[in-house]
Amino acid sequence: MTMVELALVLTFVLLLTLGVPVAFCIGVATMLAMLVSIDPGPALTTIAQRMAGGINSFALLAIPLFILSGLLMGQGGIARRLINFAKCLVGMVPGGLAFVNVISCTLFGAISGSAVAATSAVGGFMVPAMDEEKYEREFSAAITATSATTGLLIPPSNILIVYAVASGGVSIAALFLGGYLPGMLVALCLMAVCALYAKRRNMPAGGTVPAAEVLRHTLAAAPSLFLIVLVIGGIIGGIFTATEAGAIAVLYALGLSVLAYREVAITELPGILLKATETTAIVMLLVGTSMAMSWLLAFQNVPVLVAEALLGFSDNPLMILLMINLVLLLVGSFMDMTPAVLIFTPIFLPVAVQLDMSPLHFGIMMVLNLSIGLCTPPVGSVLFVSCAIARTSIARIIKPLMPMYAAMFVALLLVTYVPFFSEALPRFFGLYE
Amino acid sequence: MALLVVSVTWQILSRYLLSEPSSWTEELARFLLVWIGILGASYAYKVKMHLGIDLLAQRLRGGKAFALDVFVNAVVAGFALAVMVVGGSKLVAMTWELNQVSPALGLPMAWVYTVVPLSGALITIYAAENCLHGWREYRDGNTHGRGSV
Amino acid sequence: ACGVRDEVTVLHLAHTLDTGHTVHKAMVHLGEQLERYSGGTMRVALYPGGQLGNERELIELLQIGSLAMTKVSASPLEGFVPQMQVFNVPYVFRDQAHYQQVLDSAVGRELLDAPLPVRLKGLGYYDAGSRSFYTVKQPVNTPDDLAGLKIRVQESKTALRMVGALGGSATPIAWGELYTALQQGVVDGAENNPPSFFLSGHYEICKYYTLDEHTAVPDLLLIGTVAWNSLTSEQQQWLQRAVDDSVTFQRQLWAQDSAAALAAVEEAGVEIIRPDKALFRERVAAMQAGYRGTPVGDLIARIAQVGR
Ligand code: NA
Ligand code: NA
Repeated sequence: MTMVELALVLTFVLLLTLGVPVAFCIGVATMLAMLVSIDPGPALTTIAQRMAGGINSFALLAIPLFILSGLLMGQGGIARRLINFAKCLVGMVPGGLAFVNVISCTLFGAISGSAVAATSAVGGFMVPAMDEEKYEREFSAAITATSATTGLLIPPSNILIVYAVASGGVSIAALFLGGYLPGMLVALCLMAVCALYAKRRNMPAGGTVPAAEVLRHTLAAAPSLFLIVLVIGGIIGGIFTATEAGAIAVLYALGLSVLAYREVAITELPGILLKATETTAIVMLLVGTSMAMSWLLAFQNVPVLVAEALLGFSDNPLMILLMINLVLLLVGSFMDMTPAVLIFTPIFLPVAVQLDMSPLHFGIMMVLNLSIGLCTPPVGSVLFVSCAIARTSIARIIKPLMPMYAAMFVALLLVTYVPFFSEALPRFFGLYE
Repeated sequence: MALLVVSVTWQILSRYLLSEPSSWTEELARFLLVWIGILGASYAYKVKMHLGIDLLAQRLRGGKAFALDVFVNAVVAGFALAVMVVGGSKLVAMTWELNQVSPALGLPMAWVYTVVPLSGALITIYAAENCLHGWREYRDGNTHGRGSV
Repeated sequence: ACGVRDEVTVLHLAHTLDTGHTVHKAMVHLGEQLERYSGGTMRVALYPGGQLGNERELIELLQIGSLAMTKVSASPLEGFVPQMQVFNVPYVFRDQAHYQQVLDSAVGRELLDAPLPVRLKGLGYYDAGSRSFYTVKQPVNTPDDLAGLKIRVQESKTALRMVGALGGSATPIAWGELYTALQQGVVDGAENNPPSFFLSGHYEICKYYTLDEHTAVPDLLLIGTVAWNSLTSEQQQWLQRAVDDSVTFQRQLWAQDSAAALAAVEEAGVEIIRPDKALFRERVAAMQAGYRGTPVGDLIARIAQVGR
């Protein structure tokens, strides 16, 4: 490691610990490392150019749109309808409410595209409900957090769009399709944890729901679920691009929550727009400074060096992939997803490609890996939100989280070593190879 | 600010509603995203929404908490001044002087880049404001943790 | 930040092509030659695949001074240097021999220095062959066949006008999104040289390749004046010699690759159409005439004189 990388890493970790916002930690670390490696004048201008240039991307335009549609759905009573629908599906088995939580988080995460939104929207309803059935509060919070991350794999997904940009042009449509099975796989693994929990504690069954109720709840949830069909169908059918799908999602969510469900008043819209702008800006500043950092890393040939080190360490592809996964898990526990994807894609993707892994498969693996990090301390936005909603502490939630981490890790291994999960659907729809 | 989000939506909608393959809507939408993203970042800083770890800040009280607060804001202001204001201004000046225009709209790239020094200046001001606010609280003995920035 | 940095002058050269491209191979050759001429005191650090930015951004980095060299197509350079439009005007060259002659002539050398006011200097031209139309469903035998077809063009105003003049309806789409755009029918065809047609995989969708060879847009190897002026005149000479070697090297490679690509797409079932170019040439006479009295018009006239 040269002085430049050392300066970069040390500054980043130090500033992060002291509480400097992540985007600025990345920016300042890049600035110092850049000043060490090239002349000061060009160094500062180059960072400014990479920040603006990194954001100046058509694919990234989808992100503010999906953020806006997610916000509209969060306030539009869509979460409640999805929970009722999930109750009809699995409410009758022992520990049914935990299953309902997993399915609701998956569904809501899927359509809103935001794990944090899913955690707060579903958790707000489900944690009190699970309290009444004597679930441990920490277990409820843990299952909400972990299952909310499945929405990052099931489209629409902003992080998959970020990956498409970072990888230099993997098809967003193919990534969206590729995320379905892995997302559901994670949900299934988490439900296995719920089943074990329910069995060990003799949790009650929720009782069957009358057919009329099932029909009513299904009909109520149908328009929300249709958004998934609309977005992905439109992209596969070539009617619109992923970015345009974002605009469609906004219009649809607007129609649903303002006109159909009437749970969002017109006067609330400016506030929602401002909130969307704010969230967009947080993501975009991260994109900008991360892009500057990954430029510097590329300039210093770090991707090549890391690839050589990894390939020199072992010649067994299974080992190398495992090592990449372990490094990413470590990265994910300290770093937010967007900068992690932007910085580590150019480093690890070339290695994966050398091992005959497709960029599509690698992207899904990376996002699944990093979504585990969203639920781990010290930096885990989903973990923070679920702890806040359940009014519990990080120290107490760790114990019930352990089997869930294990379940997610099993899913990660399956997705890593079995390309079928990521590639089958895109291939079936002719979007891949 | 909110209007920008609406206009991005509208730009993209018009792209296929009019089914006219024009490249300038795409370019405009991208430039708007740059403006929303970077100018919005200063607003997000003002309302302390950027993601960070505040474990340390929550544990400190009194003078130490104030010192940390000043340090964090100084780091942010340092970046905003050096990279965004100085580097960004040089970028604007260079693209202006060399008369560089965007391919589709023919818009001077200097206009697009102007948001960088602008937002940098705002962030510096907000950082100074935060320090002033922190100092008043410290002086008045109101010494709870800083909260997340 | 390493100790060696003071002894060896490193020129950072970034581009957007993959490592299999003839231009990349020529740049590797450039680096080898430069090390030889300079006795190991100068070196080229290569960054392929757009890892440091797209073409427009790389040009900016040259102007800023954090990057020494890049390769760009003459098309995106139009936004920086208006004279470069001349390469997108169809049929300014009589044939391949004329095109090479022009690049090596006084006009060609002058164009290399045209970007100097915007802190860029051309060092040499890499061959990018001649661009021709390829279409998904409808074969194009005459310009009339282009009527109503949506053809993808580069983001260049001249390229837009060129396709319009030939009868097609021009649609600018990013190169990376073109495969899906062709597949989904967003556009009916595109235009490019044989190696790009082959390497992009577009031949899997487009089954007709009409060799009308409407334009020949070279790639330019650029150096920022910040980097150029930091070199001693001896170093500048070494670099220019190494560039000239790599240009010769690349032209040979290109000719081979071009022939191989044409054979490969034909093998894959693409129908190669060799149309009467005079029909296409007639269509754009007015477009050429439209430049009369402008700097680009003067260039067209001077180019026509080369070799006469
Ligand atoms: Na999603
Ligand atoms: Na974490």
